Amino acid sequence: MIALFSDPLILGLVLLGTTLGITVGGIPGLTGTMLIALTLPFTFSMQPVEGLVLLVAMYVGAVSGGLISATLLRMPGTPAAVMTTLDGYPMANSGRPGRALGLGMGASLVGGIISWFALWQLSEPMADWSTKLGPFELFSLVILALALLAGVGESTRARGLLAGSLGVLVAMPGMHPATGELRWTMEFTSMNEGFRLIPVLIGMFAIGKILDDILGKAEKVEKVTGKDSAWIPLSDWKKHFVNLIRSSGIGTLIGILPGVGANIGSLAAYVTAKRASKNADEFGKGSEEGIVASESANNATVGGALIPLIALGIPGSVIGAVLLGALIVHGLQPGPLLFRQNPEAVHAIIGTVLVANLMMFLIMLICARWMAKLSLIPKNILFPAVTLCCVWGAYALNGLWFDVIVMFVFGLLGCLMERSKLPLAAFVIGFVLAPVAEENLCAGLMASGGSYIPLLTRPISLCLLVLAGCLLLWKKKESANKA
Amino acid sequence: MVRFLRAILIFQLAGIVFSNLCLSSEDTFPSKPITVIVPFAAGGGSDVFVRIFQDSIRRNKLCPQPIVVKNISGAGGTIGSRTAREAEPDGHTILCLHDGIYTAQHYGNADWGPADFEPIAATGQSGVVIAVSENSPFPSLTELIDESILRPYQLVFGTNLGAPNHYSAMFLQKGKEGSKFRFTQTGGGAKRLAQLKGGHVDVTGFSISEYEQFKAAGIRALAVMSEEREPAYPNLPTAKEQGVNAEHGLMQFWWAPRGTPPDRIAYLENLLRRAMNTETIRERLDFLHINPLFIVGDELKKTVEQRSANLNGIIIEKPTSLPPLHWLVLGMTIICGAFVLMERKKA
Repeated sequence: MIALFSDPLILGLVLLGTTLGITVGGIPGLTGTMLIALTLPFTFSMQPVEGLVLLVAMYVGAVSGGLISATLLRMPGTPAAVMTTLDGYPMANSGRPGRALGLGMGASLVGGIISWFALWQLSEPMADWSTKLGPFELFSLVILALALLAGVGESTRARGLLAGSLGVLVAMPGMHPATGELRWTMEFTSMNEGFRLIPVLIGMFAIGKILDDILGKAEKVEKVTGKDSAWIPLSDWKKHFVNLIRSSGIGTLIGILPGVGANIGSLAAYVTAKRASKNADEFGKGSEEGIVASESANNATVGGALIPLIALGIPGSVIGAVLLGALIVHGLQPGPLLFRQNPEAVHAIIGTVLVANLMMFLIMLICARWMAKLSLIPKNILFPAVTLCCVWGAYALNGLWFDVIVMFVFGLLGCLMERSKLPLAAFVIGFVLAPVAEENLCAGLMASGGSYIPLLTRPISLCLLVLAGCLLLWKKKESANKA
Repeated sequence: MVRFLRAILIFQLAGIVFSNLCLSSEDTFPSKPITVIVPFAAGGGSDVFVRIFQDSIRRNKLCPQPIVVKNISGAGGTIGSRTAREAEPDGHTILCLHDGIYTAQHYGNADWGPADFEPIAATGQSGVVIAVSENSPFPSLTELIDESILRPYQLVFGTNLGAPNHYSAMFLQKGKEGSKFRFTQTGGGAKRLAQLKGGHVDVTGFSISEYEQFKAAGIRALAVMSEEREPAYPNLPTAKEQGVNAEHGLMQFWWAPRGTPPDRIAYLENLLRRAMNTETIRERLDFLHINPLFIVGDELKKTVEQRSANLNGIIIEKPTSLPPLHWLVLGMTIICGAFVLMERKKA
């Protein structure tokens, strides 16, 4: 592995991939998935190892880069950074952008390295374990995630639930995720797939923000000022030690699960950190712990998502699915055989996660001052540029103008929701989780002949549901105390 | 001066040649890049298949214009196939779609089908393997099917409902009187593998290349649904050999929108034929265990009709009634909305 990364070409590719990833991750409207999908054809003419190194480095960079715009502009550059906006922006806005970015970068590095270690050591045994999760277990897992949702953001529970169920509702039109039948499409073929994640997300978070600003009145995203250092002394990291380890662990574990990506990983770690924190009140107002939890967990999902990809050929995330395609195009067959037949490819993937995380940290540390200027770009230049990126991003996904229209409609909805103080994060998470929950519940019911009993008789499923129930009850107690 | 005149002459000549080139390129086909619509996401099996052709055509310089792959994924391939159907029928936009074009129409997810396209060629067939977990109690397909007759609707068959993979399973069940499986939704190949390994489904189907990729992960093949044994697996018996009269496979078809001029279809057919004959394609298809068949012309038309007709004998059963989750969610949203409004009034 060391020999591989002493090759300047390989190192150059890691540098290129990480830098591009960070840039794209930092620009709202452009996502890592898009970058990797657009780069994939270019790697066909490369050696398999070179191509994989480039793509994996992009993955690491893209997940990390989102924290810049999340912190400075309150626009998550990637879905993975949604939770970072909650604390990163308030902290930056209170005159400490450097510290907010520094915490995010350091946490990203630690999360990346811990998940790399897991990837290196646990690929085979952990992937084997994850097959124990059947449809009922996965459904219960989503219910647990939705129970966690009740604790997101600073608005009331009714508003959180309304935003969440609106998200679920918006996920309903299109093809039924289990039976493949069509519903609520109004005989309009473009609706067969429903509303796609990328246009909805870009619309809600980027276009919505811009509309909100143009229409005035709204609470403005204030220009972040402050020139404090992004370097966080080691002694400061000591008090975040437990949080870092816990959040990275959660991120890695969630990354392993198929179809659940970095956004859910950072959500789970954030909410857990809030529950465990002595200063839970500070969450959402610029809490250091919140930034650390969200950023270490989202980077940790990268290593996690690659574990089942390498060991079984099962992607743990959307980007993982594109990488799976890259492996196959290059004539490599993921799965247990890969360890024996193409050990160099396995080493390249695992090694890149480590090297790209180190490079990501260095690049972001060196460029922190320059990156902080992102927020100083005047809005009459930034907004048209971001809008263009958004339109291009939504269109390039599938080459359909329908997606662009969807993006603008959701921009309007996002703007309206923001004004009625409905949390956008809850909406998006409900939207993402709904098809996963529905597909698994229906698959379970088809397998059990319509019986719901296995939800309670299967031990893992029961544990998850009990945990979800406890979380909801705990919340109740908390609010009762407050009242 | 002479040099100057010569330079002008060369310029003029170049101009004439250039304008001729422009003129000739207007009435010959193709005059612009040929877009191949892949109705699935980048990186999937169909995408890889088309990109192998794209790569070979480029490397062997078989076409004066580049081939562009456009992924329009979603809804089991129907969004991409509709886009292709509505494209200008000038040969510059074509579609590559496997048996999904028949199954989407039969399942009721698309009101268009093969009749809305001109088939150009069929360029590959991949066998379907019926597989169980390695610790499954069924040593062969015969035992599995007998069990499904003895205890109908008890064995869980993991499929991707509405997709060709679901139809393979239905063909298998139709292959012996009284056999009934309980079909459940498990999604794409990798998800089916995980569910099979975890014991959440009893049996599932894989394409040969999926099986090749997954076989070391703890699964066991019972049969291949091809007409004859697959050369890659000479010891794996066919379904017919085991007394189940079922045959199915995944064939890749290239389609042009209806109304595309026959001479352009002929050009594309020839392009695919020349690509098919290259060493690069043979090797890559061999690696993916795709049988490099090549069907065109009348035989192709017959194949298309036959594959459509085969589905007519299939009746889709929906034994489990599922909760109307979308209406429940609508109700829940209204209730939450009411709560928020009440909260607002209080405040």
